[in-house]
Amino acid sequence: MKQPLLKVEGLRKHFGGLKAVDGVDFQVDRGEILGILGPNGAGKTVCFNMISGIYKPTGGRIFFDRARTDGLPPFRLAAMGLGRTFQIVKPFTSLTVLENVLVARGIAHYGRFRRIWGPWRSKDQVAAAMGILEQVGLAELAGRKAGLLPLGNLRRLEIARAMVVGRKLILLDESFSGLRHGEVSRLEDLIRTIRQMGITVLLIEHNLRVSMKLCDRIVVLDHGRKLAEGTAEQIQSNQQVIEAYLGRRRRKNAAGG
Amino acid sequence: MSGYLITIATIVVINAIVVCGLNVIVGYAGQISLGHAAFFGIGAYSAAILATKAGLSFWASLPMVVIISGLVGLLLGLPSLRVKEDFLAITTIGINFIVEAVFLYIPFFGGALGIGGIPRIYLFGLKLKGFSFFLLCLAFLVLVMLACWWFARCWAGLACFALREDEQAAASMGISPVRFKLLAFVVGTAMAGLAGALYAHYMRFISASDFSFPVSITLLSMLVLGGMGKLWAPLLGAAILGALPEIFRPLVEYRILFYTAVLLLMIRFQPSGLLGDDSLARKVLARVVPGGRS
Repeated sequence: MKQPLLKVEGLRKHFGGLKAVDGVDFQVDRGEILGILGPNGAGKTVCFNMISGIYKPTGGRIFFDRARTDGLPPFRLAAMGLGRTFQIVKPFTSLTVLENVLVARGIAHYGRFRRIWGPWRSKDQVAAAMGILEQVGLAELAGRKAGLLPLGNLRRLEIARAMVVGRKLILLDESFSGLRHGEVSRLEDLIRTIRQMGITVLLIEHNLRVSMKLCDRIVVLDHGRKLAEGTAEQIQSNQQVIEAYLGRRRRKNAAGG
Repeated sequence: MSGYLITIATIVVINAIVVCGLNVIVGYAGQISLGHAAFFGIGAYSAAILATKAGLSFWASLPMVVIISGLVGLLLGLPSLRVKEDFLAITTIGINFIVEAVFLYIPFFGGALGIGGIPRIYLFGLKLKGFSFFLLCLAFLVLVMLACWWFARCWAGLACFALREDEQAAASMGISPVRFKLLAFVVGTAMAGLAGALYAHYMRFISASDFSFPVSITLLSMLVLGGMGKLWAPLLGAAILGALPEIFRPLVEYRILFYTAVLLLMIRFQPSGLLGDDSLARKVLARVVPGGRS
């Protein structure tokens, strides 16, 4: 049987009385693009933050690459090959675009005391970082301070960093939000390229149309619970999903008519 | 050079070494510290005690002094680096007062009388004083600046820069926040310890008030004035804030007021310091040297 790359079992996160995530199960198979969909406050980002180690789950278990990882700190998960982006972008603003990617390239050094004393601005490192920047289309801006970039480029920069760290799995947290139309299609191509490189992608998306086009499978969350799971077609025709997104007008109309 | 000038220059160089250490903690790793004088003091007291009570020479005690300062930095850094920003600032102020009180009230450290009779430093049988002592301090400053230069170019330094900019993003790239902040803290406090040893053997008498909270503020002012995170900032800041009180000797009573004014003016008009990326000095320099490195 094929082993899933990421498996989440009965995942719960409560903030006081608020059940942000309340018993969610799903798994991500190697090489697929899985989308997590849901309205605002459905618990998507909280799920991401638990998978990437920022939050400790209140309950449930997370398995990444066959190891149990719930409760591990973010830097350990990163070292295991999990890269992520943030919904609110977090660039290293006073560093250049190139240096931002080089920070990510340090993933091979930060874990060992003896390896942190080597120089980071070596020819090989810069060449490798430039390669990544070319892939995401930021090569011309390599010397620019990251703080000066517009949002679309910052999202690409975050993906570039995540591509370096995420040798196995990349989590993209609403990477499409706030982008113009042309930027959206370029980003879609980039995500497909990432998958072709053999990296698994788990993405949160708000935009139905984008996720329907891009994802192999979709998990829909609402109020901290899993509402539905399946292919784009299955999700599109799922009555509960339609209700969560569009409200109950249809049924009301049906009842009224 | 006259003795007067050499004295001022020596103090400037010693201060520059302490501020280099502060630069690693505040400028590189972004961890605000308002208690750096405590570690300067720990170095000075360790050197003084090892020299007067254990009878060790400066050279024999120096490695121990640096290790003691670094270890105490590690110990005090553990709890304080788990808090952030304002809380870290307050915690480090607290550390400064506690360390000063320990020097002042524990008889082993000489109490209010401090420690006197610290011997001079000998090098190859030569007694170092005046200009030769200044050269020794300068040699150590060069070493410390080389260490800072290298730190900014190795992965550990890059990790610290990333932490300074955004801790969560840095952690998602495999950087352990606690580990690298502590590393910066240990490197910074060890440098302060080294400067403390030089200070003790230069003054030959030290007391707790030499390392009080206002000294920490002065050290931070030097760094802010020079430009946080810049290699030459500690020397520039220490030189300006060391020389100005001498030039304005009649106003010495107002020195703290003056420092405060400089700090406020810098924060308002040159927030990145004299050597900062968008500072006046750099703009002028860029115009004079077209295509020069910024």
